[in-house]
Amino acid sequence: MSEKKDKSTTKKTPVYGILAEYSDPAVLIEACKKVRDAGFKKWDTYTPFPVHGIDPAMGIKPTILPWLVLCAGLTGLATAITLQWWTNAHDYPWIVSGKPFWSIPANVPIMFELTVLLSALTTLGGMLALNKLPHPSHPLDLKERFERVTDDKFFLLIEASDPKYDADEVTALLAEDADLVEPLMDDDQTPAELPRGIIYGLVILTAAAIVPFALAAHARESHNRSPRIHIVPDMDWQTKYKAQRVNTFFDDRRADRPFVEGTVARGNLREDDHFYRGKSGDTWARTFPNQVEVSEATMKRGEQRFDIFCAPCHGLQGRGDGMVNKRAESIGAGVDGWVPPSDITDPNLMKQPVGQLFNSITHGVRNMPAYGPQIEPEDRWAIILYVRALQRTRNATTKDLTPSEIASLK
Amino acid sequence: MASKKAKPRKTVKQTEPEETSSKSEEPTSEPVSAEEDDEDDEDETKDSAPEPDEDEAKKDEPKAASKKPAPKKEEPKVAASKPVTSGPAFEDDMPNQAVGQPRKPASGHGASGKDGGDHGPEGENIRLGDLSGTLLKVGGGMAVVGLGGAAALGATAGDGFAHFFHSYLVAFWWGLTITLGSLFFILIQHLTKARWSPVVRRVAEIFVSNMPALAVLSLVVLVPVILGNSALYPWNDPHHVAQSHVLQHKEGYLNKTFFLIRWVFYFAVWIGLGSKLAKNSVQQDVSGDPALSRKSFALSAPGMLLFALTTTFGAIDMIMSLEPEFFSTMFGVYVFAGCQLSFHCVLALTLLWLQGAGRLTKSVSVHHFHDIGKMMFAFIVFWAYIAFSQFMLIWYADIPEETVWFKPRFVEGWQWVSIVQLVGHFVIPFFGLVSRHVKRNRKALAFWAIYILVVHYIDLYWLIMPSYDGQRAPLSAMDLLALIGVAGVLIANAARVASGINLRPTKDPRLAKSLAFENF
Repeated sequence: MSEKKDKSTTKKTPVYGILAEYSDPAVLIEACKKVRDAGFKKWDTYTPFPVHGIDPAMGIKPTILPWLVLCAGLTGLATAITLQWWTNAHDYPWIVSGKPFWSIPANVPIMFELTVLLSALTTLGGMLALNKLPHPSHPLDLKERFERVTDDKFFLLIEASDPKYDADEVTALLAEDADLVEPLMDDDQTPAELPRGIIYGLVILTAAAIVPFALAAHARESHNRSPRIHIVPDMDWQTKYKAQRVNTFFDDRRADRPFVEGTVARGNLREDDHFYRGKSGDTWARTFPNQVEVSEATMKRGEQRFDIFCAPCHGLQGRGDGMVNKRAESIGAGVDGWVPPSDITDPNLMKQPVGQLFNSITHGVRNMPAYGPQIEPEDRWAIILYVRALQRTRNATTKDLTPSEIASLK
Repeated sequence: MASKKAKPRKTVKQTEPEETSSKSEEPTSEPVSAEEDDEDDEDETKDSAPEPDEDEAKKDEPKAASKKPAPKKEEPKVAASKPVTSGPAFEDDMPNQAVGQPRKPASGHGASGKDGGDHGPEGENIRLGDLSGTLLKVGGGMAVVGLGGAAALGATAGDGFAHFFHSYLVAFWWGLTITLGSLFFILIQHLTKARWSPVVRRVAEIFVSNMPALAVLSLVVLVPVILGNSALYPWNDPHHVAQSHVLQHKEGYLNKTFFLIRWVFYFAVWIGLGSKLAKNSVQQDVSGDPALSRKSFALSAPGMLLFALTTTFGAIDMIMSLEPEFFSTMFGVYVFAGCQLSFHCVLALTLLWLQGAGRLTKSVSVHHFHDIGKMMFAFIVFWAYIAFSQFMLIWYADIPEETVWFKPRFVEGWQWVSIVQLVGHFVIPFFGLVSRHVKRNRKALAFWAIYILVVHYIDLYWLIMPSYDGQRAPLSAMDLLALIGVAGVLIANAARVASGINLRPTKDPRLAKSLAFENF
């Protein structure tokens, strides 16, 4: 420390620039115009508050910040579009609520957010960078008079590094308006280079920033057989039993318990094979059970249930062209083993007894899931009644018409 | 701040002919208000007081002086209660001649406003004058030709005026959104105590005075409702309601009587708020009483609440119930966005035109236009934000009661108009208005203002017309004629209102700050 001080006293302190002090912003603006017209480049003013009209007086050009922000906003927009296209539609296509893989309306919120985020960050960062901030030290900081810049004094500094700088000329020019003109010494003895520690720190942080990306890239190309890491064990292992799990309390170690042999829950006897299983003896029933009234009301009920449960796949006409199938075909699901839903007006299906249709609805067929748990038996029979009607509409002949209707067609 | 408070009263006093009387008054007020014994303050008020000779030369001055005694007596009371009624929030209410005068001396009395005491720049024409006669003729002609022509075409269309009513409703709402926008503009300027806007606020106050004329124009839309005709509103048809489960549930709200009651309420609120705020401002031109600004501020707070509710429900009643099965809670905000957007365009155009005709040439500067341009840009973005928010939730949830409204617009024939909306109402004006150079360029700003008013009309057309024809846009000369007619009524009525008043406030307490306003 003392060594340094000795050096500084022996070395001649360089002049940083010429500082002028004013007590009126209007005078400062006049002085600025003179300095501007004299053609100086490396100079600045310091005021306690923003002074209207000082920008043109100093010859400050309009900032390029808006252009930076525009570019950043467009970059954010493009990033959001690319990110969502690549993740949702290209690299790992996944259907969400039956929407197309690349669904622009769903992408708009992210596009909006990234545009705003990058614009806002660039506005702040660009403002700081264009203003050369943060500026940790400046010779003015050590000047005692300069402290009044936050109170009631205005300053103008022309730096010695300006190509037009000439100490006497500058002093004369500033003295025309200023209350006080004096040279500003560069007393700051801090070395110009960044401390070693900061440089090493930045290098390490930069290297560390690559690590997550490297890990992600590695994970994409490798397989790992070890179990996943459990960050919240309480949530991963809850003290409850799930279906198909082990429970050591019971001899058979099953968590889900079978019905006790020889018992039936109230209202669940269901001994009527015809009504509950569509069986008549060992064969499929060919008639509707007695509990089901073949009537207009049942037909309406069947139509309504059909439109809710069956139409999404089989279509409102039952021809296997529902929205789910249309969407699956439009996104090329066929190559991935998509089995299209049956056309229920197909002659083969027409030949099936109603009992077999009932069984298909109850337990499902091929990739059609079981609807037994969702649809009450009465409604299943009502749907079959409606299906029979649909089948007839597709295979009607002249025999189905009344003589008067035939006459009208002729 | 405390010392500033005392200023207005003193300056009022010093406009009296006898300086001595005002001086003798001062000590009496001193014990009451401790703030007034600030010495700096007294100096300032003396400096800023107009020279007595000039005031005496004024013919109106004796009148003003004779009015003075009454408020003077009340003064101690007001001053005493002031710390209670007005906190530091009222700091900006005070006339700041001390700030404004060095730049723009108030010695310009007489050269500008006819009733003197104009605190604005010297030698500026702030009266509409003989232009109002021309405008009345042009507007009246447009109204007669437009409305008459549209009605004649509607009668010959042979669809029981159904097309005419829809065309007319679009044009009517085009005028109503602009006028509602002017009401909101006044409310928000008072609520925020905006310093930039007083010089342009009077134009909004003139436009808000169109509200009674719009109430008369709205009667045409009411005719089918009263007659039980369902050409516009299907809920007015008992057979239609009988077939719709949803409409039976909505009948308690969507029925003729309640609809008419709400209609009266909306226009009562809009006319009441608008005329009161405009009246306060015009009165201030004569009396210069800063208390009027405080009154407008106090009215604006509940007024804003009423405005939000009436605009939302007004849009729901008059536009959304054209397709009564549909509902969207976002709808009112969507229409509100259009109100603000269109009014700021009209404001910019009116001011540009007035300056072209030699009015307000000194007080309204490029800085004010820059701000109006910013608001136009902001509401372009706001409109798109709201429009998309409404669309995306409905698109994602995909519920039939909601998608029914978008189906004709996106699938069955109006797709191209929807694309025009997206590109023409957002993308193009966004990039068109984003630059500050555009907002500060008179011609460019005028172009975008006109452009936005056109796309705003398309926006309303897109909202209303599919309920008449869901398959295609039924373009007709009726649309244009109805628009010309409504615009003509608004122009003529605005000219009539403007002919009797100044085109900008002359004694608004924030006028000086507004004149000195700078934008970077």
